[in-house]
Amino acid sequence: MDSPLLSVRGLRKSFGNHPVLKGVDFDVSAGELIAFLGANGSGKSTTLRCVMGIEQPDAGIIAIGGDDVGTLPWRQQQDARQRTAMIFQKIHLVPRRTALDNVCAGALARIPTGRSLSPVFFPRAVQQEALECLDRVGLADRAFDRVGRLSGGQQQRVAVARALCQRADIVLADEPVSALDPHAAEQVMALLRDLAHVENLAVAAVLHQPDLALRHADRCIGLLHGTLAFDLPSSEVDAARLDALYAPDRVAAA
Amino acid sequence: MSVQTRTFPIRPKQPLRWIATAVAVAAVVVLHALAIQGTGFQPGLLVDGWKGMAAFVADAFPPDLSWDKTVRPGLEATLVTLWIGLLGTTFSVPSALLLAVLASRSTAPHRLVYQGARAVLSFFRAVPDIVFALIFVTAVGLGPFAGVLALICHNTGVMGKLWAESMEESDAGPQEALRTAGANRIQQVANATLPMVVPQFIGLLLYRFDVNVRSSLVLGLVGAGGIGLLINQSIKSFRFDAMLTHIIIVLILIIVVDQFSAWVRRKLAA
Repeated sequence: MDSPLLSVRGLRKSFGNHPVLKGVDFDVSAGELIAFLGANGSGKSTTLRCVMGIEQPDAGIIAIGGDDVGTLPWRQQQDARQRTAMIFQKIHLVPRRTALDNVCAGALARIPTGRSLSPVFFPRAVQQEALECLDRVGLADRAFDRVGRLSGGQQQRVAVARALCQRADIVLADEPVSALDPHAAEQVMALLRDLAHVENLAVAAVLHQPDLALRHADRCIGLLHGTLAFDLPSSEVDAARLDALYAPDRVAAA
Repeated sequence: MSVQTRTFPIRPKQPLRWIATAVAVAAVVVLHALAIQGTGFQPGLLVDGWKGMAAFVADAFPPDLSWDKTVRPGLEATLVTLWIGLLGTTFSVPSALLLAVLASRSTAPHRLVYQGARAVLSFFRAVPDIVFALIFVTAVGLGPFAGVLALICHNTGVMGKLWAESMEESDAGPQEALRTAGANRIQQVANATLPMVVPQFIGLLLYRFDVNVRSSLVLGLVGAGGIGLLINQSIKSFRFDAMLTHIIIVLILIIVVDQFSAWVRRKLAA
């Protein structure tokens, strides 16, 4: 594999006096799906949110396509962030709008403000592209249904289509399947794996179910108390490692 | 065989809470005593003066149902009242929307803009519509136009505030999602925040329409046209039977408007 699309070094983040990330390093290359595993509060979601720029890291380097985002001028920084798209556990689509309009919204950064005040003004080319993205996730036939009428799994696939319409080459998913039933979860994970293996995107997902991660991800990164516990191909992650990784949850439950 | 007694946690004693409750009750009682004194609230006066009331009501019955003299002018004026309420509501939508977006924490571009917009809304809300009506009467003369202008001003303040709050209470997730996708603030508001709150906005709009129709009745009393003006005139000329007719017409109008807005809100919720 060539040089990684996303490269993170020494990422640190504290909330108040509570350090959540204590120096995290990892790479994600085009064409691979990696899974972040770890107990509650181990820093998985915070890692993704720092990369997305939703949270401001205290220290560390986040390089997208080889460029250190922190040192870029503001405009290029926006362009670099543009290459990363986020999938949320709570999906965050607008339920009253159609699937197509929601997918088009992924392209807003390319649409002039005057033409983005209402979906009726969205350029035809964007609508065409959005339709292709919906087709990619297998939902072209539901394009004109309101999102609120789709099932949870279908909604999450619409959200994936929105990320595609953003033309991102890095997709970060924060617990994308935690709110879904097992069948829908399986479908969405297969879709994320396809994005990596077929579309050659770099995909990183925070997952709560180790079995899903081991079956779908190429590589698993285990976080424990804000530091890297392991970074291994999924085939090399064994029960003992997972056991150690989730020990804090058992302590909390006791 | 020994019976194990299980120990349950004991409810913690909270003497401070009792004191706090007692103080709160005492404060409410004192406030009411002061208010009764301040408003001259004396039920005895009402009992003594029942004859005056009875005479007033007796004069009003039966209602004057003469078509040309009372009912037709009443219906025409009621229509004007309805128009004042309608325009006062719809014409305040652009200004209320703009100020709501600027005065909602989730959409305001800057803290200073947020504070400024809230101050403007507070001003429009604090000045009663009747005062606005008196001001506009001096500018555009007596009549319904002054009433419409007054309602636009006051309603901008109230509806802007209600809309801003409903945006702050709505789910911020979709807006955050569009922000991470690189959408600018106007795009976020137009494509996430506003479409999320459309049902609440329309519900509040209908509620304000309902209130504004009733306010425009009162505005008629200060010369801003409509049925309120007729009620005022019939009282001043001691035609209490005509007054009663007008009030019955108003009652019907209020019920119709209320039913209509309830019906639309039901449709929206479905």
